Amino acid sequence: MARIVFTSGFARRYTSGVREFEVEAKNLRGVLKAMDALYPGLGEHLEEETTVAINGEMHETGYFQPVPPGAEVFFIPKIEGG
Amino acid sequence: MNDTTIVTESTKRFKWVGTRPIRPDGVPKVTGRALYGADLKMPGMIYGKVLRSPHAHARIKSIDTSAAEKLTGVKAVVTSKDLPQQKFDYIGPERVAVNFWHVTRNIMAREKALYEGHAVAAVAAISASIAEEAAALIKVEYEVLPHVIDVDEAMADDAPLLFEDMITRGIEPPPTKPSNISKKLEFAIGDIEKGFAEADVVIEETFKTAAVHQAYIEPHACVAKAEADGQIEIWSSSQGHFAMRALTAQILGARLGDIRVTPAEIGGGFGGKTVTYLEPVAATLSKKSGGLPVRLQMTREDVFRATGPTSGSSSWVKIGVKKDGTITAMDGVYKFQAGAFPGSPVMNGCLCGFAPYDVPNQHAIGYDVVSNRPKAAAYRAPGSPIAGFAVESVIDMCAKAIGMDPLELRMKNVAKIGSPTIAGPKHAHAGFGETLQALYNHPAWKAPLGPNQGRGVACGYWFNGGGESSATLQVNADGTVLVATGSPDIGGSRASMALMAAETLGVDYGQVRAIVADTGSIGYTHVTGGSRVTFATGIAVVTATKSVVKELCRRAAVIWDVDPEGVVWEDGHAKPAGSNVGEFKPLSLKELAAKAAATGGPITASAGVNPGGQAPGFCAQFFDVEVDPETGHTTILRAVCAQDVGKAIHPSYVEGQMQGGVVQGIGWALSEEYIYNAKGQLDNPGFLDYRCPVASDLPMIDTILVEVPNPVHPYGAKGVGEANICPPMAAIANAIERAIDKRLTTLPMSPPRILEALSAG
Repeated sequence: MARIVFTSGFARRYTSGVREFEVEAKNLRGVLKAMDALYPGLGEHLEEETTVAINGEMHETGYFQPVPPGAEVFFIPKIEGG
Repeated sequence: MNDTTIVTESTKRFKWVGTRPIRPDGVPKVTGRALYGADLKMPGMIYGKVLRSPHAHARIKSIDTSAAEKLTGVKAVVTSKDLPQQKFDYIGPERVAVNFWHVTRNIMAREKALYEGHAVAAVAAISASIAEEAAALIKVEYEVLPHVIDVDEAMADDAPLLFEDMITRGIEPPPTKPSNISKKLEFAIGDIEKGFAEADVVIEETFKTAAVHQAYIEPHACVAKAEADGQIEIWSSSQGHFAMRALTAQILGARLGDIRVTPAEIGGGFGGKTVTYLEPVAATLSKKSGGLPVRLQMTREDVFRATGPTSGSSSWVKIGVKKDGTITAMDGVYKFQAGAFPGSPVMNGCLCGFAPYDVPNQHAIGYDVVSNRPKAAAYRAPGSPIAGFAVESVIDMCAKAIGMDPLELRMKNVAKIGSPTIAGPKHAHAGFGETLQALYNHPAWKAPLGPNQGRGVACGYWFNGGGESSATLQVNADGTVLVATGSPDIGGSRASMALMAAETLGVDYGQVRAIVADTGSIGYTHVTGGSRVTFATGIAVVTATKSVVKELCRRAAVIWDVDPEGVVWEDGHAKPAGSNVGEFKPLSLKELAAKAAATGGPITASAGVNPGGQAPGFCAQFFDVEVDPETGHTTILRAVCAQDVGKAIHPSYVEGQMQGGVVQGIGWALSEEYIYNAKGQLDNPGFLDYRCPVASDLPMIDTILVEVPNPVHPYGAKGVGEANICPPMAAIANAIERAIDKRLTTLPMSPPRILEALSAG
């Protein structure tokens, strides 16, 4: 299981304020699919609006990124460029 | 100079990586033959000129271009009507969200001119002088509106509004009244009130920083040619020709595949050349002129008036600390000028300011605020130095209050692997503590100081970047190797790419030539920015090189008539993997290259990658200053910069990045600022009056390269371009405070401000 965490602002907009989830996934694609199953459309928001930290390592939100068992997957917002 | 490299045990020694060969672009640059954006000349080329608003804020009632169009020699006139409408939406690649409704209005004003210098029309003519004359013939009827420049004034209830329908995002429920506050952000970990309750000393202070420009030497310039069939070719100086392609395509409603952008050499960018101002306009002028190539370039005054500096700011920071030096809580409010359109780097400020420290209770609020200034653009670690000035100043005040060495206070609280960050993720990389220790060990840290002299220290943090990059290797018939990437070379990346390819291939650096390929000749590559190129494009180069090595082994296997698995690559040669494979004389790269046709054709490989796991940048610096109490002038006596660089691929360029960041930070600290008059017009749009540091203002800058390698990168590289601009402002403020016992909280700390502080008693 991986622990999925959103910022409070993101959670307020898309998950009724719920910030933490546990999902079964081997990679980021699995995380996105699992979150999309819980909140239809959320996967696309995550892909387009966030950067992700897996156990503190920053990555772009790409499908292939492995998610080790017990990992903390933290989605943080993209920077606004104007 | 006392340049030092601190190497951790895990850093390997290499043959080429870590050496200092001459840069491949050096000769054309020092002989003046390198081609920059404004150097390209084409047959039939015509010249563009942009007409800019003289007003800080004005409604555009009408634009009459008829007189300009009738002038002999004029080939095209463009206004915002020639650019398609854009949807109001925040979209975008990488970690950046862009609203093209804003971008197209920044490129060419529509309903209103929002800052002095805002483009309102453009012409192209057979000579630059005719273009200038034609631009002056364009009649723009303005209704001048009240303007606002300062961020605090822009946030006031009665401030003139840039957008009458702007409702602040990030507040629930949304406000009912419009304002200049585009967005509010809030981040928190732990319990901030509990943290302050645990502290023995709590200190808070407010700060202001000036907007400062990246001050790249080369003004923006491009040539564009738009054919009748929709194909567009652009030659321009930028930090990312793929970004210029994408932005131009979106602004013009063109397809990516119809635009080809060739990068010119770039005379500095520092973040400011990641956005477009000219390319879509030049392409539209070309299209309207029947496909003639159009050169469009800015003057220095245009650059200051119309391109993005970094934000000016107003901040408040509060820190709690125990008597033993443990920081218990950090709180901050950051208000950043976005310029005329939303999108300041205030989120970065919120996320970076406290990042060097292991503190359980953190809270930060950020406001993105529009005002009648050019739209802010990225500038070296965008946002981090602004927050860092406030945070590192208050940390110094805490150290003084508890009687602790300011560097020891930072060492006691420095972030480690597993330390929390305000965004939520835990720190995943080492190197901060090692860097502070290296700075502490510098012999000058404890050196005596004279009268009116002071020493100040500060830290800085930057995320660093990864992301998409492409590279192609070609083995030539004579055994030389071409490395092509999509990363414009700003900091010496051609040399570092060639070094990594040579190391991986096991051949001499002199055999490898690195180039920057155009958008039609290489795969997509993100901008050269975010300190990402040596890391991400370096991984693309090493990945492609490994594919070439595999192919070379396969070619040797063909020659020897053995299985490819029976061949290994060592020291630039294919060799039998063991005696059971057979007795064969090793084949060099040159020998295999000569047999390329017979063994299967050209030897080449490409790689497209999207790596993450980049380690953040961390830098710590101390400055010795002397303040003249008569004039208020501050002399920098010494600057020492320690930075975790992972592994320095080309140490000279790493040192250059560190020294460059320090120099720009000194300018930000002491002399650089935008000065507006009562009409909201910029009074110092040139290098005579906008005072960047020059060599005579600067000491030799000691660099300490701390090498704590990033295990994700094949050679351990970490981004090194940005964290070094974060510490100087606070470190110099802290040094001045120790020299004159006055805390300066407004940048720049110019002589009049020092004298004002001294006269305050």
